[in-house]
Amino acid sequence: MSVVQKTGPSSKWYLPGIVVGLGITIRHLFQNLMNPKKMPTINYPEEKYEYGPRFKGNHVLTVKKDGSLRCTACMLCATNCPAQCITIVASEHNDPTVEKFPINYEIDMLRCVFCGFCEEACPVDAIRMGPEWQTPGLNGSQFNYDIERLAYRSNLKGGVLSIVDDDERHKSGI
Amino acid sequence: MPKCTINGKEIEVKEGTSIIQAMTENGQRIAHYCWHPGLSVAGVCRLCMVEIEGNPRVQIACNTMVTEGMKINNTSEKVKEAVKWGLDFHLINHPLDCPICDQAGECGLQDQYMEYGIYDSEMAERKVKKHKVVSLGDRIVLDSERCILCSRCVRFTDEVTGTKELGIFNRGDRSEIGTFEDRPLNNKYSINTVDICPVGALTSKDFRFKQRVWYLKDGDTICTGCSTGCNTKVYFNREGIFRIKPRFNKEVNGYWMCDEGRDLYKVFNRENRQIKALKKLGHSFEEMLPGAAAKDIFKNLSTSLQGASLVVTGQLSNEDLQKAFSFFTGALNSKQIYHWKNNPESWSDFDGLLLRGDKNPNTKGVEKCFEEFQIQTRFEDLEAALEQSQISTLVVMVPENIFAYPDLSAKLKHFGKAKNLILLSSSLVSLEDVRGGAHCWVVPMKTTIEKSGSFINHNGLTQFFKKVTTLVSEALTVDQALTLMGGGEVTVEMPHSSSETRFLVDYNHRSDQVKAEAYKKNEFSFKRGTL
Ligand code: SF4
Ligand code: SF4
Ligand code: SF4
Ligand code: SF4
Ligand code: FES
Repeated sequence: MSVVQKTGPSSKWYLPGIVVGLGITIRHLFQNLMNPKKMPTINYPEEKYEYGPRFKGNHVLTVKKDGSLRCTACMLCATNCPAQCITIVASEHNDPTVEKFPINYEIDMLRCVFCGFCEEACPVDAIRMGPEWQTPGLNGSQFNYDIERLAYRSNLKGGVLSIVDDDERHKSGI
Repeated sequence: MPKCTINGKEIEVKEGTSIIQAMTENGQRIAHYCWHPGLSVAGVCRLCMVEIEGNPRVQIACNTMVTEGMKINNTSEKVKEAVKWGLDFHLINHPLDCPICDQAGECGLQDQYMEYGIYDSEMAERKVKKHKVVSLGDRIVLDSERCILCSRCVRFTDEVTGTKELGIFNRGDRSEIGTFEDRPLNNKYSINTVDICPVGALTSKDFRFKQRVWYLKDGDTICTGCSTGCNTKVYFNREGIFRIKPRFNKEVNGYWMCDEGRDLYKVFNRENRQIKALKKLGHSFEEMLPGAAAKDIFKNLSTSLQGASLVVTGQLSNEDLQKAFSFFTGALNSKQIYHWKNNPESWSDFDGLLLRGDKNPNTKGVEKCFEEFQIQTRFEDLEAALEQSQISTLVVMVPENIFAYPDLSAKLKHFGKAKNLILLSSSLVSLEDVRGGAHCWVVPMKTTIEKSGSFINHNGLTQFFKKVTTLVSEALTVDQALTLMGGGEVTVEMPHSSSETRFLVDYNHRSDQVKAEAYKKNEFSFKRGTL
């Protein structure tokens, strides 16, 4: 790409712009010094910003009453994902009433755009987007979340129970 | 030849054609489940409704013959209403299984529902529960709840294979497909029932849950399982090939193919393929890139390649055989070409439907080449000569379908008695098999689905196939391998050699463009995860 460089006399008129900009900066400096409460900047990480309850952060795979994964490995989330960051390997379950389940479920968090389409596509409420977002890692591989991390990470305390459950479904005859 | 009008279009059909045949042959759409062009008419699904002028009620199209002057239509409100309620009855006891159903994406119920669905269910009753995940045999799983009792599968085992394993048991809404005691569905064509099942009631154990069908692309090819040469479709994505299905060809296989042929996708997939070339000088093995190995052969053997012997099998396409024969008789000045036959005693076997004893797709083609180049050799002579260590250089085109060559590793060990052994192999060669002998090269080759060509089947019919996809991009074609072995160069024609594409190329080489070399230096994207 070529960079266009203006060399005409109009290009010399940058000084007034700089002076005006500095003026705005100094005005804000004094306003903030007089009235620190109104300052929009917060002292992260000591202070934390509260997001709304609908904030779409890191994913959670929900579990059934017995603690096993709710996901049926239908791959609708992976199909719907615009970033194509969900990888699922499905397998046959020993229990014929379960039939299909994921033996591997990975989300590449660095590719995820946190759009929530996966949550929307899931027919069984197996994936939700939780409130967490401060999850640093030391290298790229730590952002490849697997089942262990998505469903059973320690702050979920054994997993998030999905409200829709098989017993209720069977009772209502579906 | 009766003439009729279908949806306002006048057409002429053969005597004894049913309305549904007339419609599908003329590109008209009609909903149907139980009718299948390769099976008898059952008329049980009641979905193929049409309105015939002069008849007060709608009728099924699959069991009504076209008569002179018939005026048929299936787009009227009356027909649509009939189909809609017919479909609703099919779905009364149907489970909400689509998320875990392998058929989803290519399911007849889903397709018709998009057109004729009543989106609000009017059922207040409980659904009837039936058996799920029933193993019908070694290859098939049945889900009775999903079955719409179209009886296609039952008719298939009655009429096509004649094995009669399947039947419908019980009555009314408790009817279920099933097998008789001690008679599982284990015939050699059983997976065809999965193909013809319009819903996900029958699923193949091999393909079950491997992929969702919408992740797969398909391409046409020809089965390499036996000399029948069934026309097939392979379903693949970038992870490999996942299944093979038959493609209609009246002259060869009709609508069907055997289960053995469906397993062949395994020989194409990377895990069973030779990816790196191997070079063994004395006792040390070295891994190389395929092209480098082929060049290395020329460097090491250039003179002793003269008069080399070649082993071919019926697994090669006509084009590859032509290339190999002309290279050996021409450049290498050798007529020592041998036809390796896997089980010639059972070659004339035929099971009456499709499966033949000759497990090579192109035996006829090999024979034709031997005639054309006037070569008369016996494979036994080669084996005897190997026994006496008279062969200096032996080139073996290892068959790609290793399932058809159970004695492969024994034979490879025997070939190892030659002084220099060159294996052109698409399938994985185990190191054990090439440990003997002095020098050995293994060059990875492309398989049938990765190249175009033709096979001559048992009947003398030449069938062409096109390249479907590439699974091992570094593997060589026979043409490339032999050219490199003969000291030639493989060149890729660049687009800017032709004047028509000149302006495109110029556009792609704008002076301010970041050069490909600069991209390569930025290795951040390749090392992510280990940073
Ligand atoms: S939030 Fe969006 S991008 Fe992230 S995994 Fe879900 S669908 Fe994919
Ligand atoms: S959509 Fe839901 S049930 Fe289906 S694979 Fe994704 S998380 Fe699992
Ligand atoms: S048979 Fe069709 S409609 Fe029924 S569960 Fe399977 S995909 Fe869904
Ligand atoms: S199993 Fe499939 S093919 Fe057989 S009757 Fe049921 S729906 Fe039809
Ligand atoms: S296709 Fe005619 S009744 Fe089923």
